[in-house]
Amino acid sequence: MELNGEQLIAASVPDVWRGLNDVAILGKAIPGCEAIERISSEEVHAKVMFKIGPVRARFAGKLFLSDVVDEKSCSMAFEGSGGAAGFAKGRSRVELSSAEGGTLVSYTTEASIGGKLGQIGGRLISASAKKIADDFFQAFAKELDPTAKQMLDGGAT
Amino acid sequence: MKAAAFDYIKAQSVPEVLALMSKHGDDARLIAGGQTLLATLNMRLSEPQLLIDITQLAELNGIELSGEHLWIGALVTHTEIENSPLIQKYAPILGAAAPHIAHRAIRNLGTWGGSLVYGDPAAEWPACSLAVNATMVLRGLQGERRVLAADFFVDLYTTALAPDEILMGTEIPLANTKQVFSFQELARRHGDYAIAGLAAVAQKTGQTLTACNFAFFSIATTPVLAKKAQAIVNGQILSTELIAAGVAMARSEIETMDDITNSAAAKTHLVGVLLERALKTMLAE
Repeated sequence: MELNGEQLIAASVPDVWRGLNDVAILGKAIPGCEAIERISSEEVHAKVMFKIGPVRARFAGKLFLSDVVDEKSCSMAFEGSGGAAGFAKGRSRVELSSAEGGTLVSYTTEASIGGKLGQIGGRLISASAKKIADDFFQAFAKELDPTAKQMLDGGAT
Repeated sequence: MKAAAFDYIKAQSVPEVLALMSKHGDDARLIAGGQTLLATLNMRLSEPQLLIDITQLAELNGIELSGEHLWIGALVTHTEIENSPLIQKYAPILGAAAPHIAHRAIRNLGTWGGSLVYGDPAAEWPACSLAVNATMVLRGLQGERRVLAADFFVDLYTTALAPDEILMGTEIPLANTKQVFSFQELARRHGDYAIAGLAAVAQKTGQTLTACNFAFFSIATTPVLAKKAQAIVNGQILSTELIAAGVAMARSEIETMDDITNSAAAKTHLVGVLLERALKTMLAE
């Protein structure tokens, strides 16, 4: 499966870079993230509850960063195991560039999903991945923009 | 494989269901026909603690005329829709679509409401509910609310139904004698998920269609109305040129998405093929 896309985020390049490297922000933005921990500068571990349609699968994943160019780009290799449900692994490359109205985040991802999730979920796996990516960036943008977050919190009370 | 252990409660009333859902949250799942849920449980792709069986709730059953509407309860099965004289008379496109849903054994158990709230983009009922302007009747602890099909399907497997609400059923405006429809579905084999499909409904006077609804499915993350193509066709004499213009507009306005076997470009092409077939069928009626 391939997932490529770009998202405009209303924040400066340094802010977006800082956010993408801040596990506290990522933990809030990743849909279903239950735990996230930075092991070293190159390694991040996370537990994510993958929740789409009738499926609920808890994944324990590892993320390895490489080719890191500060405030510009990085590559990631990831692997996750969802127990009986299956596994996912792949590579992703993220690039930031300054754009009108904020920062353009471009990403390319190649992933393979195996096990039962791959067999049954195959039909809609790209659509599911895209939804998760969209949900992530929406939440990420809110985490970065304090005014939007305030409005969101205000709306919830 | 077998499902992980879970508790089971056969609910006797809607308030009981709502109370259980509010107490157990995402650990509980409603079960009616179980044609999607049980497969998911048996593959252990989901392990809820509690299943709440809603099949005893009479309020969620039946196909009935009620005033200006046809009521279809959430628990009505695909087969019941297929065989219902009321459906044939007042919402005939549903009768035409039903045989396309999976296979007989699944149609005997799977339900109208289950398919709607699951919101699979490849399913027939979400698109049909858009085409016939159905209204979803939802009930929660706060009371009842009504949501138009056009506002119900939000994203992939995501509907306007809140986590603490249940779908009671739908109200469908009664078809009159001017209604024409065409249900088109392409699948590799009968019973497979559609590669692309279209539920088209309109009012016909002479050679002119009005109140057009062209609801496509299995082409994006939700069923989609081709609103611009509808606007082109609405109120004009349905000539060969108009059909071509509508087909071109539908292809350009709908953002298709690939699935595991078919590219987005192939789906865009099929959107036009299906609309052309549907318009010609409705013209010939």
